[in-house]
Amino acid sequence: MIPFEFFLVLAAILFVIGAYGVMTKSNAIIVLMCIELMLNAANINFVAFGAYNSDVMGQAFVVMSISVAAAEVAVGIAILLNAYKLRKTTELTDAELTSLRW
Amino acid sequence: MIEYTWLIPFVPMLCFVLIGIFGQKTPEKGGYIAIAGAAISFALSGIIALEYLTGPDYPNVVVDSICWFHIGDLQLNLGYYVDGLTCMMMLFSSFISTLIFVYSVGYMGDQGGRKKRYYAEVSMFLSGMLGLIVSSNFLEMFIFWEVMGLCSYLLIGFWSFRHPEGDAASSNAASAAKKAFLVTRFGDVCLMGGLFVLLGAFGSLDFVDLFNPVNIQNVNPDTLTLGMLLCFGGVIGKSAQFPLHDWLPDAMAGPTTVSSLIHAATMVKAGVYLVARGFPLFVQNPDVMLFVGLIGGFTAFFTATMALNNMNIKRVLAYSTLSQLGYMILSLGAGGYLFALGMDSGNAALMAAGTAGFVAGCFHMMNHAFFKALLFMCSGSVIHAVGTEDMRLMGGLRKQMPITSITMLLGSLSIAGFPFFSGFWSKDLVIEAAFEAGDHNVLFMVLWVLAIVTAFMTAFYMFRMWFMTFMGEKGKNTLHAAEHGHGESPKSMTAPLCILAVFAVVSGFFIMFGLDGMLSFTELPGGFFQVGGGHSEGFEYFSELFTNPYTYLTIVLALVGIYIAYLMYAKKKINPGRFNREGESVLYKVLTKRWGFPDLYNQLSWKLGYGIARGVDYVDRQVVDGTVNGLSGAVVGGGEAVSRVQTGDVHDYSSVVLLGIAVLAVLFIVIAKIMGGI
Repeated sequence: MIPFEFFLVLAAILFVIGAYGVMTKSNAIIVLMCIELMLNAANINFVAFGAYNSDVMGQAFVVMSISVAAAEVAVGIAILLNAYKLRKTTELTDAELTSLRW
Repeated sequence: MIEYTWLIPFVPMLCFVLIGIFGQKTPEKGGYIAIAGAAISFALSGIIALEYLTGPDYPNVVVDSICWFHIGDLQLNLGYYVDGLTCMMMLFSSFISTLIFVYSVGYMGDQGGRKKRYYAEVSMFLSGMLGLIVSSNFLEMFIFWEVMGLCSYLLIGFWSFRHPEGDAASSNAASAAKKAFLVTRFGDVCLMGGLFVLLGAFGSLDFVDLFNPVNIQNVNPDTLTLGMLLCFGGVIGKSAQFPLHDWLPDAMAGPTTVSSLIHAATMVKAGVYLVARGFPLFVQNPDVMLFVGLIGGFTAFFTATMALNNMNIKRVLAYSTLSQLGYMILSLGAGGYLFALGMDSGNAALMAAGTAGFVAGCFHMMNHAFFKALLFMCSGSVIHAVGTEDMRLMGGLRKQMPITSITMLLGSLSIAGFPFFSGFWSKDLVIEAAFEAGDHNVLFMVLWVLAIVTAFMTAFYMFRMWFMTFMGEKGKNTLHAAEHGHGESPKSMTAPLCILAVFAVVSGFFIMFGLDGMLSFTELPGGFFQVGGGHSEGFEYFSELFTNPYTYLTIVLALVGIYIAYLMYAKKKINPGRFNREGESVLYKVLTKRWGFPDLYNQLSWKLGYGIARGVDYVDRQVVDGTVNGLSGAVVGGGEAVSRVQTGDVHDYSSVVLLGIAVLAVLFIVIAKIMGGI
C-alpha cells in the first residue's frame, strides 16, 4: 500500500514544475505543456482523495477535467497556429504579438 | 336625412383627397370638384336644416355619436349635434364657400399647376369649418379647429414659393403664414388647457353632458371659470381679438380668395362660434362674460383706428373684420352678462335681454359673413384688374369696373350700417345689447360709447376705401389697366359678387322671418341649455329700433362718416393731410406702425422666446449633455488608465495569478486559525 502522502507530494512536485515552466519559458508550446502538467497534478489529487475517501466522484471529475483540458488545448493550439502564421514564431515575448493587447 | 349630417364635412374632405390624387388631370386642376363638393355640402345643409326646423324634434337638439375610443372610464365620441345655431352656421359657411370657389376659377385662373394645391387646401379648409360646426363634443371640435389652423397656414403661405410680385412678397407670405400659425397656436394651447379642465371637471366633453344644468351644478364654479377663461384664450387667438389680433392683417399676404374664406366663411368665425356654442358654460359666471365683452368691445374700437389711415385695400378690410369680430364678441359678452345676472337672480326679463344679445352676436356673424365675403371678392376683382393693393395707385375705377364698384358700394353701405342694409340691423342690435348691459355694469356703458364711435369710424374708413378706389382722379395703375384693356373681371368672378350683393342687402331682413327664434338661447323646462325654439319678434324690430333714439345717433354718425369721407376723397374739399400734419403727426405714425404690435410681438419673441430658448439650450447642452458626457468620459478615461496594467507578457499575468492564489491561501489559513481551527 503506497502511503497517501506520496500521491500528494508527487502532485505538488508536478504542479511546481508546471508553474516553473509557465513562469520562465518563453515558447508558447512549452507553456501550454506546462499548463497540462499543472492540470494533471490536480487530477492526481482528485484520484488520490477519491480513493482515500472511497468516493467515486473523484474519478468522475478527473474524466471531466481531462476532456475540458483536451478542449482547452485544442483552442490554445489553434490560437498558436494562427499566431505562427502571422509572425512565423511562437515566442510569447514577440513585440508584435504583445502589442495586440490594447 | 338628419342622420346623414356627418356627410356635410365628409364631402369636402373627400374632395380634398380626390383633388389631391386626380386634380392634375381634371379641368381647372380640380376646381370643379371643389365647387361641386361645396355645393353638395350646401345642398345637404339646406335639406337637413329644413328637415330639422320643420321636423318634430325642433327645438330639441338632434344629436348622435359613435364611440371613438375609451381611456379608462372616459369615453370619447365622434358625432353630430344639430340645433338652430348649427343650421345657420353650416348654411352660410357652405353657401359662401361655394361662391368663393366659383370666384376662384376666375381669380386663380392664371396660377397653372399650383391650382391643384389651392383647391385641395380650400376643400380641406371648408371641411374643417363644417366639421367644427356639426361636432357633438369639444374634442371633435378641437380636431377640426386644428385642421383649419393648418389649412390657414398653408393657404396664407400659398405664394411663399413664387409670388407674382417677386421674392420680397413671397418671403413676406412665408413669414405671415408662420405668424398666423404661431399666434393662433398660442390661443389653441389655452383652448386645449381649457378642454382638459372641462374634461377633468365633467368627465366628458359631449355637449349633451356639458350643457345639462344638473351636471353644471355638480362642478366647482371656480374650476368652470378657469376652464372657460382658458377656452376664451383659444377664441382670442382664432378670432384675432386683442391682444392676439396682429396675425390677421398680415394674413392678407395670401390670395384674396383665401382672405375672403378666412374672414367670411371659416376660421375667424370659428372663435365666435365657440363662444356661442359654449354659451351655457360661459354664462355660469357674469365676470367671465364681462371679460369677454371687454375684450370684444376694446378690439372693435382699437382695430378700427388702424383702418383709418391704411393705404392697402385688403388691410383696410382686414382691420374692419377685426373690428366687426369685436362687435360679435362684445354682443355675446354683453348678452351673456345679462343672462348670467338673470340666472343668478331668477329674473326672466334679464335672461330675455341676454338672449337678445346672443341673437345679435350670431346675427351679426351671419351678416358679416355675407358682406365681408362680398367686400373681399370685390377687392380681389379690383386687384385682379389693376395689379396692386395700394389704393393711392387706384382711383377712378368706377367706369372701368361698373359691376364691382356697385357691388362693393352695397357691401360698404351694409358694413357701415346704412339704414335697411343688413349691417344696420345687426350692428344696432349689438349696440343695443351693450347698452342694456350698461344698466348693470358701468364698464359696458364705456364699451357702448366705444361701439358707437367704432360705428362712425367704420362708415368713414369703408367709404374712404370706396372713394379712393372708385372715385376721384384716375391713379397710375388705373390708367395702366385702361391702356391694356383690363376692365371688368370675368363672369365667374362677377356672378358671385352679384349673388352676394343681394344677400348683403337683404340678409338683415331674415331676422323678421324667424331667425331670432331659431337662434335664441334658452334653458328648457326639462333642464337643458340650447339654441332654438324661442319666440320670434318678427316685424317688431322695426318699431323697436326706430323708436330708440340711439339708433338715430348711430345712423347720423354713419352718415356723417360717409359724408366726411366723400368730402375728403371724392370731392377733395378737405385735405386729409390737415389732420395729421401730412403724415407727420405722432398718432398717424403710431397707427401706421399698428400701435407697435408687430414690434411688441418681435420683442416678446426675441427677448422672452429667445431668452427662454437660450436657457433651455444651456440646460440641455451643459447640464443634461454634461452629465452624460461626464459619465461616459469617466468610464472611458478610467478604462484607458487601467488598461496600461496589461503588459502583454503572459509571464506577468501568470505571476499575478500565482501571487493571488498564494495570498488567498495564506489569508484562508490565517482566517481559519483565528476562527478556531481547521
